[in-house]
Amino acid sequence: MSRTTARFLAGGVAVVLAVTGLSGAAAADTTATAPTGSAVVVESNAFLQSAATNGVVIVPLPNAGVSYDTTTGLSTTLPVTGGSVNLRGYYGNVTLDGSLLFVDVLTGRSVCFKQLAFSADKWRLTGVPDGSTTPVSLLKPAGIERSAQSGTTQTLTATGFTVDPTGAQFLDTQLSTTFFTGGQSVGSFSLTFNG
Amino acid sequence: MRKTAAKLLTVAALATSVATVFSGTAVADPAAGVTPAAQDIVGVGSDTTQVLLNQFSADYNATLPGTDTTTPRLYSWDATGSSPITTKTGATPIARPNGSGAGIKALVANTSATVDFARSSRAPQPTDAHGLDFVALAKDAVTWSAKSGGDAPAQLTADQLAAIYNCTTTTWNQIDPSLPANTIKPFLPQADSGTRAFFLGAIGVATPGSCVASGPEENEGTDSRLNDPDVVFPYSVAHFLGQTVGGHTTTTDAPGNLTLRNIVVNGTVLTPVTNNVIDTNFANSQFGRVVYNVVRDAEWTATDPHGQALQAIFGSSGWICTSTAAANDLASYGFLATPACGVATLT
Repeated sequence: MSRTTARFLAGGVAVVLAVTGLSGAAAADTTATAPTGSAVVVESNAFLQSAATNGVVIVPLPNAGVSYDTTTGLSTTLPVTGGSVNLRGYYGNVTLDGSLLFVDVLTGRSVCFKQLAFSADKWRLTGVPDGSTTPVSLLKPAGIERSAQSGTTQTLTATGFTVDPTGAQFLDTQLSTTFFTGGQSVGSFSLTFNG
Repeated sequence: MRKTAAKLLTVAALATSVATVFSGTAVADPAAGVTPAAQDIVGVGSDTTQVLLNQFSADYNATLPGTDTTTPRLYSWDATGSSPITTKTGATPIARPNGSGAGIKALVANTSATVDFARSSRAPQPTDAHGLDFVALAKDAVTWSAKSGGDAPAQLTADQLAAIYNCTTTTWNQIDPSLPANTIKPFLPQADSGTRAFFLGAIGVATPGSCVASGPEENEGTDSRLNDPDVVFPYSVAHFLGQTVGGHTTTTDAPGNLTLRNIVVNGTVLTPVTNNVIDTNFANSQFGRVVYNVVRDAEWTATDPHGQALQAIFGSSGWICTSTAAANDLASYGFLATPACGVATLT
């Protein structure tokens, strides 16, 4: 972990982009009925600047895809790997590929969330931290939120994406920071689920 | 069977006694002498959520200082009462919409000068006009009810309910030979009722049979037609809890002699109420539903004062979805909060 931390200290946000190059293709699921789609988390430039100022970096890890736009910010694409969900009835669960590494470059502390999922029951993006089996609610859609369905394709778009209070407390405890707060604006969120 | 029926009676009696203790103040329509201002947010439609929205109106408006005459307030017109109604200052008088469907039609047929939102106890349907947002409010469930001490059993399967409303099952002993041979009397609420539409969808009946009578106001067991030992009538579980546990009743808006009954889904008996709240398993079955407030999409996404007011009240960061007072109101009126509160489904 200390070597990883050193890399972040040296590279800062640039490391985030470097990780993009490590991203592989989504794990292929050859079953005909497997759901497809993706969740896209957009971290706004305002959030990125605020996080960087406080020494916090969020690193998407494979098989997440990353892109950057100077206007909208950093987009992390998490491929859908499974689950069953009704976005208009607000129940079910979507499992997502990739993981998210949260690092405080000032202290070197980090926490990595795997088994990412969007829980329609909780209406939260959740992840299981290393060393645990219990999902933590991390982020909540906010702003103008819309769900829709066309054929077998369901979509959710949210103009806002905020830190869940439980997630904020967990992250601050793990990273020994006071950066995260419940309701903190991160950016926006969208989810497409085919299946 | 008898034991279950006895338990139902006990629960009903207990609920009644609790309701007596916690009897609340009934509110309906904007208060006498109050005409909502042109900029206020005014709604019509569903019977199921009308009392909840009336309470929201009182509590939300109480958060605004009396000296503040510009911030839009929230008002809601009941499904029944005198008609026509002039919903706000400068509005065109309209026939009072009775039910979700009627409220949605009124929303479509008018502008924000008359109607800003429609209460809906059903989800969007393919026949709904385009450009509407069904904004999630809370979770409810619908079960069937029957007269306490009548001929109906404690539970029916979804298929048995479908057979009753298709009129292929017409007597109780066709369901169970030990039951009386008396003719079942299936009723449905008024035509534009969201509860009616949802219930028929849940049991898979597109068009009810000729033995089915329509007309009683939804969630009102006080209708004399329902005071019959052989009646079957769909009922909002939340509204029932609001009446019996929350004590929110009027002379007509009350369960009368009706009690809620169980439904068997995939071989499992689902009980609509556990510990005086909607049972989670029941809410997560095909008989669970989301209730909504419906707005025009162009206004919902607008950044003008009207759009901001809609978001401030109904949005995921708005008063209904975030305030403690609204959460308490939801519980008092029997509804389950949903984390998806404020999420819109676009038609």
